[in-house]
Amino acid sequence: MSSKTNTTRNDVLKHLEEIGKRILEDIGKERPPKLKIRVRSLSNTVWCPEEKILKLGPRCAVREFFNLRETRKFMQTVLMLSLIVRARREGDYPTIRDLYYMGKHTIEYKDLHGKLRRENTWETQDESDYIIQDIEVLTNLLREDMGIMFDAKGRMVGKVIIRSKGNTIDLSKMGVGAFAIPPNVGDIDIVDVDADYVLIVEKGAIFERLNNEEFWKKHNCVLMTGKGQPDRGTRRMAKRISEEFDLPVYILTDSDPFGFYIYSVYKYGSISLSYESERLAVTRAKFLGVSTSDIYRYKIPRKFIIKATDRDIRRARELLRYPWFQSKIWKEELSLFIKKREKVEIEAFSGFGFKYLSDKYIPEKIEREEFID
Amino acid sequence: MVVLSVLEERYESLSPSEFFYRNREIAGFSNPTRALYQTVRELVENSLDATELHKIPPDIKIIISIKEPPDLVSILVEDNGIGIPHEEVPFVFGRVFYGSKYVLRQSRGVFGLGIKMAVLYAQITTGKPIWIRTSTMNSKIIAEYRIKMDISRNMPIVISANFRKKRSKWHGTIVKLITKGNWTLARRRIEDYIRRTAMITPYADIYFKGPDVELIFKRNTRKMPTPPKVGKPHPYGIDLEMLRRLIEIHNRNITLRDFIMKCFEGVGEGIAHNFLEWARLNGDKKLKDLSTSEIENLLNKMKSYRGWRRPRALSLSPLGEDLLRKGIERILSPEYVVTVTRKTSSYSGNPFIVEVGLAWGGKIPMVRSPILYRFANKIPLLYDEGVDVARQVVDKIDWSLYRVKFPAPLAVIVHLCSTKVPFKGVGKEAIADVVEVEKEIENAIKEAARSLRKYLTLIERKRALIAKRITISKYIPEVARALAEVTGTSETKIAKKLSLILDRIMRTESKKRGDIDHE
Repeated sequence: MSSKTNTTRNDVLKHLEEIGKRILEDIGKERPPKLKIRVRSLSNTVWCPEEKILKLGPRCAVREFFNLRETRKFMQTVLMLSLIVRARREGDYPTIRDLYYMGKHTIEYKDLHGKLRRENTWETQDESDYIIQDIEVLTNLLREDMGIMFDAKGRMVGKVIIRSKGNTIDLSKMGVGAFAIPPNVGDIDIVDVDADYVLIVEKGAIFERLNNEEFWKKHNCVLMTGKGQPDRGTRRMAKRISEEFDLPVYILTDSDPFGFYIYSVYKYGSISLSYESERLAVTRAKFLGVSTSDIYRYKIPRKFIIKATDRDIRRARELLRYPWFQSKIWKEELSLFIKKREKVEIEAFSGFGFKYLSDKYIPEKIEREEFID
Repeated sequence: MVVLSVLEERYESLSPSEFFYRNREIAGFSNPTRALYQTVRELVENSLDATELHKIPPDIKIIISIKEPPDLVSILVEDNGIGIPHEEVPFVFGRVFYGSKYVLRQSRGVFGLGIKMAVLYAQITTGKPIWIRTSTMNSKIIAEYRIKMDISRNMPIVISANFRKKRSKWHGTIVKLITKGNWTLARRRIEDYIRRTAMITPYADIYFKGPDVELIFKRNTRKMPTPPKVGKPHPYGIDLEMLRRLIEIHNRNITLRDFIMKCFEGVGEGIAHNFLEWARLNGDKKLKDLSTSEIENLLNKMKSYRGWRRPRALSLSPLGEDLLRKGIERILSPEYVVTVTRKTSSYSGNPFIVEVGLAWGGKIPMVRSPILYRFANKIPLLYDEGVDVARQVVDKIDWSLYRVKFPAPLAVIVHLCSTKVPFKGVGKEAIADVVEVEKEIENAIKEAARSLRKYLTLIERKRALIAKRITISKYIPEVARALAEVTGTSETKIAKKLSLILDRIMRTESKKRGDIDHE
């Protein structure tokens, strides 16, 4: 995987330059330049039942420089393209925030009434991030492949040997710490994994506790967290370990619709980044818990149960409409949630003692295969 | 006419001048403010009639000064009109019901009464005589008079008369009188009146000097509207008094048939024959033999007969679309004007023509509803706008249909020409809501508004095109720089090419939308 990535470094640059050349060709022939970019919206997000992932649909939008509505975005797209090309040529690895600052400058012009006005190439980072996503779709390259970094927050620990920048790192020798999963997971060689499964926990705090207890050593697993909504590095790492070493993946979240959705992002991909699902979806992921029915099966004390908000209920109803939540068991779980209007945090198991979660709940659920696929 | 019949029937013991004095508020002389304004109006309108009815481009000079503070005001109005034959001067200014306006045509004052009211009012309030200098075009002398009026006898009193040899080619009339009036309060109205008069007479030079104000309006055209021809009344348009007067002033020995053929518009032998047969009237009967009840019967039959021809407009003198535009341009300095002169219509046998102008932008201020300028027979109407039919029409129109979104810089000019303007009440400041007139005003405004809409659409598109060019071209340097970096091509070359494509796109788009770029 890693060697493949390295050989494509040059290809990436060529590929990006090619897009610039195509635009220039139009201009040279005095044709209005345009870019064809697939639309990244919910309506163009397709659930692919065979592959069981979310994919970007076929609908395209033509971004024309001489179209009033598109002209600013066109400018931003070629600007971002030039920034990425520059970084690739110079071997830089800018973050998306770096790109935002590098590209942000002020355009001065005179308006209809001859008044001097100023406009920034982009105002907020949201704007430049959006363009990065467009370029990913346009080039069919992931930002990691283009050498774009972001503030990665994933952590992992376990009997895993990796090689990075010439160093061999044993992820079972991190002490009380853990390996910080970088954005460019593609640049890492995963040399060896000795584990029976991968356990991904939603929350950083739970990860720290399980790591402290050396849960991964006792239960022979790889422990990971994405700290809430997982970033792409975390998802890609989970996918690589699962696929390259043929391991099942179990996901543990809070018992609420936002937790359920985080599970689905690992497994199927997200709506906003559906174009990258193929490269990020952890198809072998299973939902370990905490399910709504677990609240009652494990008789979690009433005092730890939280009343669901209207927002939670709305979210649950939305999930019920998503094609990837249409299995019988998910429908039952979500309906139960809407009916009971109750949720719990993972920490609620501490009501039975600090080790209940690691000694009882997780091993028991895995042993009994009480997970939702 | 109502005034006349009332006068004859109930005030026989009063002289006309006495009657008018007692009823001075009817003529607009109710208080010193109104009286000052009304006096200026009467004098200016007389001057305009003395010039434009004879195709002389008017030079009008109006000078107002405070004679004795606080309220003795001197008013001088000078024109270059046809002048008054010197022997007639005392009667023109000193006797009610004397004048040249007893014919049916469009002129500003119908009976020339107003000027006498002004004289009367001045005399009553100050005791001072009126001063006149005049000379007709072919006269070899210039006459100067000082005249008072004997109110109870309705006769002029000549205080002094002075004739001297004319050394120049000057012709015209200068009238000066001293009256009681409140300049401070009347000033705004008078200014407004003169400004609006200048709007409706673009071919007139008007100079106005007041105690603390000077206005100069230079003519912006020498073209003048065709003066109205003297028209005969239409059978539908007369009333009993008029019929009686017509019978009185005609040879009483002529037959009824000859009378209706000679005195009414559009009545030839055939129509006269058909009418008499239909009405079962003896056409050979002499006028003098008609009894009062027979005259009444004649009137009723004339009013109910359906075979008359429609009234014609020879007796009307609209300004015409070009002149109205000129007038509006010279006073409002708008960005865009459209004018519409409608064809002749009639209500109850009275022919009328509606003219409308819409003025947009330029010096016109932004307003919540259109500014309205009303004119009747070239007289500006200043008071009672709220009850005027034109205001009602303007307010009724859904301007958004014509791309006007208020506040907007829009002025509406409405000019009604008629041998008989349907005024509301005796103030003669508002047009009554006569259905036919209302419909014509509405049609005229809508016709003009359609042109305005076209213009506004073009302007909007033009602005949109310019805005588009600005929006896109400001990004050209950035796009050129970025593409130059990615491809290694020269930045200036890319920028030039992009500008070239933009120019071409703009050209095609402005052509597609009808070429509007005249500048």
